[in-house]
Amino acid sequence: MISLSVEVENSLGLHARAAAKLVQTASRFSSNIYLSREDADQRIDSKSILGILMLAASKGTCLAFFIEGKDEIEAGEAIRRLFKSKFGERE
Amino acid sequence: MWVVGGINCETDWIREERSEYLMASKPEKVFKGNGVSPGVVFGQALRLDNRNRAFVKMHVENVEGEVRRFLKAVKQSREQLAVLKNRLEKKIGSEHSVILDTHILILKDRALRGEILESIRKNRANSEWAVMQAMDRIVRAYESLEDEYFRERHNDIVDVMERVLLNLSGDRPFSWEALPGDLIVVSHDFSPSAFATMDMQKVRGLALESGGRTSHTAILSRGLRLPAVMGIRDILSCINTGDTLLVDGDDGQVIVNPTRKRLGRMRDRIEAFGTTAEYILAKSEQATRTQDGTKVSLRANTELPYELEAAKRCRAEGIGLFRSEFLFFGHPRGFPSVKEQHLAYSNLAQEMKPHTVAIRTLDAGSEKVFKNKDFADNDSSSMGLRGIRLSLKAKDAFRTQIEAILRSNSDGNVEIVLPMVSTVEEIWQTKSVISEVREKILKASGAVFKDCPIGAMIEVPAAVFSLEVLAKEVDFICVGTNDLIQYMLAVDRGNPQVAYLFQPLHPTVLQCLSRIAEVAAKLNKPARICGEISSNPFFAVLLLGMGYTEFSMNPLSIPAIRRVLHEVSINDSVKIAEKALGYSTAQEVCDFLTTAVTELVKTDLSYHVQELIASDGQT
Repeated sequence: MISLSVEVENSLGLHARAAAKLVQTASRFSSNIYLSREDADQRIDSKSILGILMLAASKGTCLAFFIEGKDEIEAGEAIRRLFKSKFGERE
Repeated sequence: MWVVGGINCETDWIREERSEYLMASKPEKVFKGNGVSPGVVFGQALRLDNRNRAFVKMHVENVEGEVRRFLKAVKQSREQLAVLKNRLEKKIGSEHSVILDTHILILKDRALRGEILESIRKNRANSEWAVMQAMDRIVRAYESLEDEYFRERHNDIVDVMERVLLNLSGDRPFSWEALPGDLIVVSHDFSPSAFATMDMQKVRGLALESGGRTSHTAILSRGLRLPAVMGIRDILSCINTGDTLLVDGDDGQVIVNPTRKRLGRMRDRIEAFGTTAEYILAKSEQATRTQDGTKVSLRANTELPYELEAAKRCRAEGIGLFRSEFLFFGHPRGFPSVKEQHLAYSNLAQEMKPHTVAIRTLDAGSEKVFKNKDFADNDSSSMGLRGIRLSLKAKDAFRTQIEAILRSNSDGNVEIVLPMVSTVEEIWQTKSVISEVREKILKASGAVFKDCPIGAMIEVPAAVFSLEVLAKEVDFICVGTNDLIQYMLAVDRGNPQVAYLFQPLHPTVLQCLSRIAEVAAKLNKPARICGEISSNPFFAVLLLGMGYTEFSMNPLSIPAIRRVLHEVSINDSVKIAEKALGYSTAQEVCDFLTTAVTELVKTDLSYHVQELIASDGQT
């Protein structure tokens, strides 16, 4: 099990398109990937778009991922890169 | 089996224990609105959404079968969204089609799917209900979010779930057969088309948020003797399917969870009102007769498939006018094949047996139908190339329609009606097309078809005055009153500036109608009124007095007209007609007619006076 902290840096936040990309990325891995806002207890499944949108994570929100499974390392790396790339969004 | 909010509704509501149970459960609440159709009824709410659908909880026996049905609908929805996404990408690029990715991911969402599957299994419930429950919960959760962007995402969820619901059960997510009786429809509005699909034996009344006294829905509810209260504010948010309701159409109020005290007080009025729909349908079982026993036939004008169902429920004595246009409009090949049309016509003929079905040949201008360049410049306004004129020019399409009609007449109950006839040659030419088609089929397959009686629509002034010539060439006559009034008075109904001149009671119109009845009787040809005017009880009595005994109208108006005609004798109506023909203005006729008929019948017709005046353009 690994954990990973990221900050939402893109201006639109985890809006529909970014959330879709996150779900698509997370779904490529067999590991369980959970996610929560650092300012709240609720833990949601990163493979559930409804859960991610419910986080209402705008720019500047800090998120924590908890990843557990055979490919947890690769999954963590892919998610980190996705946030770093600001979901490919044009600023 | 059916369960609503845990209440298994008994028809025998008077039973004390039920009243007691009801009173114990919820407090009484009174809603005020406009009483648009009189009477007092008691029943349980059937709450419809803004598309006139209800998602009621039904018990399913085969739970795994239900699960498979749900998963199939999800799969279908995914495939549809993939196609949409592809199309959108080609049109506007992948930048924007990404919103559909979100929708596809919502469909794939494991948490959501898990919740719905668990709900189906745990409650042994139908998928539609389980989907609605989950949707309601998620939408509420989203609506509580502070950030506007994320709050608005509930629209995406609704969009996706609506698609699943549509794939589950189309626009009719419940079958009336599965519902109990004594229902009160509670809805924002209730369209006439929704009216046509409901089971009138099960609906007792209406409680609606929108609509007024002169709305079409109000007119229909009065015709069907359904107590109705409309214009009630915010009733939907306070009522669930299964709540007990008292609809008081006299005082314009709806009472939710009425107390025993109130029920006791209202009991006499409820019982006096009788059992409404059942009462009407029971009366409707009998053939229509006037007070002195003269047989009258009330048929239905239909066009769209659902109207056939309404015609049967209202005990229409045949289809007096089937408008075939909807088969043609927007058809990808210009006009529908013999097979397509035959399917529609023979279904009508089979369903209405032993009554007759009159199929009017295409009555439209070419602009709406053919993409053929021969007709491209056609001005098909009301005086242009339309009706039988167009059919006789577009012979291929006409032969196709004639063949389909002939083939549908296996039981001999199909009639052909020709629209907009203005010369006798048009009837001759049509007859030769019919024999051509017959011969062609005989040669090709050896099949011989039964004769279809031919009727001419009398709607052009020339046809009225050459009726002696025309009527000899046909088996029966149909009077198209709307067009006749328009041509006779030179009033384009589409033009609001002259709408006030569209007067069905104009003395000249009445002279024409009277003349048609007279000539038809002399030549021994049945004459049928095929216009909406006969759905007004005052007008129906007037037409009866002129000699008409065949009427074709909106199917939902049939029970009311049937009831009024039961109370009128031929003698009375003849006297009324004779007098009505002597006035010089529509307003004078209207005043006389409403007074005379109101004196004659017990049924409260006051609402129909408004219709008559409104249709005269006087208000």
